[in-house]
Amino acid sequence: MDKPKNIFTMLIFIMLIVYLFVTAPAPLQTDLAGRKVETKKVLEIINAINSQVRNLYTKNIVGAGKKSGLRFNEDWQEEDVFAGPLPAQFLRETSRSLEKNNVQLGLYLGSDYPINTANLFSGKQRDFFKQLKTTGEPKFFYVEDIERYGYMFADKAIAKPCVSCHNKHDDSPKKDWRIDDIMGATTWTYPDEFITLEIALELISALRSSVNNAYAAYIDKIKQFKNPPALSSRWPKEGFYLPSVAHFMEEVDRRIAVETMQSLLLVASHEEKVKTSSGE
Amino acid sequence: MNTGHEKLLCEDCHVPADGNLRQQFQANIQFLLGNRKQYSPVGFRSVSSRDCQQCHDRPTDKHPVSRFLEPRFSKARAKISPHQCMSCHKEHQGKRVTTVSQDYCSNCHQKLKLRKEKIDVHHVDLIKQKRWQTCLGCHDYHGNHRMKLKKRLKDIVNEQVIHEYFNGGNDPYSRNKIHKVKEITPNG
Repeated sequence: MDKPKNIFTMLIFIMLIVYLFVTAPAPLQTDLAGRKVETKKVLEIINAINSQVRNLYTKNIVGAGKKSGLRFNEDWQEEDVFAGPLPAQFLRETSRSLEKNNVQLGLYLGSDYPINTANLFSGKQRDFFKQLKTTGEPKFFYVEDIERYGYMFADKAIAKPCVSCHNKHDDSPKKDWRIDDIMGATTWTYPDEFITLEIALELISALRSSVNNAYAAYIDKIKQFKNPPALSSRWPKEGFYLPSVAHFMEEVDRRIAVETMQSLLLVASHEEKVKTSSGE
Repeated sequence: MNTGHEKLLCEDCHVPADGNLRQQFQANIQFLLGNRKQYSPVGFRSVSSRDCQQCHDRPTDKHPVSRFLEPRFSKARAKISPHQCMSCHKEHQGKRVTTVSQDYCSNCHQKLKLRKEKIDVHHVDLIKQKRWQTCLGCHDYHGNHRMKLKKRLKDIVNEQVIHEYFNGGNDPYSRNKIHKVKEITPNG
């Protein structure tokens, strides 16, 4: 009596197995496919690129620009302010552009003595920053609620304008900054601990594109100036000029290319060794 | 639909998930077996803040959702989830802002001190008195209105008026917006 019932159940079960596993159409692209590298190592490369950009913008655009008559202001986006972004706002603009990209790479800047209280570290980030200030070493951690890894790097006073501007600013809670002081930290976030080399390249590309967009936003803003600086291949150190987006990015690429390539090859070769030694 | 979304079509926001139904089932079996890290949505993918930003991307947003993904905002995330548009703008409610409370600024601005106060009752005093519902009387959360700040507390927008604005009523701040919303064309 039960035999036909059992056969029927078995048949359904077999069909289900076939439907789900056997005669499968092409599987959806899995997020675990491809060779993996530590995200931490990739974020180190990404941070090195960002440091180069920050250095270039701070010294060659803001530092030299102030001497040539260019103006920079934290409220640069306000309609009645005719100025460019300061380095912190340039990073914020890069971060904003990065977030619009689909790569889930987060970029944030903070400090224990920020000019803008909205950038004050708190909670875990404050604790990690305390350790970072003591050792100078970056901190890698996990943020449970958003399920993302965080990597915090020291942000040093790399040029005179950093120190003088922060020491003179009315809202600055600390007025005795010196060159090379750790003034704050750059924090990167990403959801996965390991990523494929392909995604690593995507992240680097996304950062480069975001830097391009941040500088393009500044160039867009100068169109509203009554007396805008000339856009060309010339830089502020030569006078009242700004490099075009293409020239700015050309200089970015010149500065980051070799180091980035070397670091990527190192990460890739390390990954090879890991695979070889583990016998995979 | 919520205020301003009346002309939207279902498919403007509800987009089919990758793959066909069978692929989606298979992907989720692999997910359950640990061979895949992410669950695959079945049928339609979930609507996210990124979808909202297709129309509401504002370069000068004072509180962009992405900002709140920074690790240090964990307490604010736990309380009001400011990293997701839908925390305050839940769809299909026929309103503009679906959060009822007007005191959410307290989650991040407890330590606010202004160098130059421009209002008769100073911000620092308003914070001491925990009058957080007054913030929205002068400041719209996303900063997208062109408006003059009030100099007297008694002239700020009334809490009840803001409540009505949340519910889809008239805009009490200004009709002059800095960034206009991007209109969706019939081709998306």
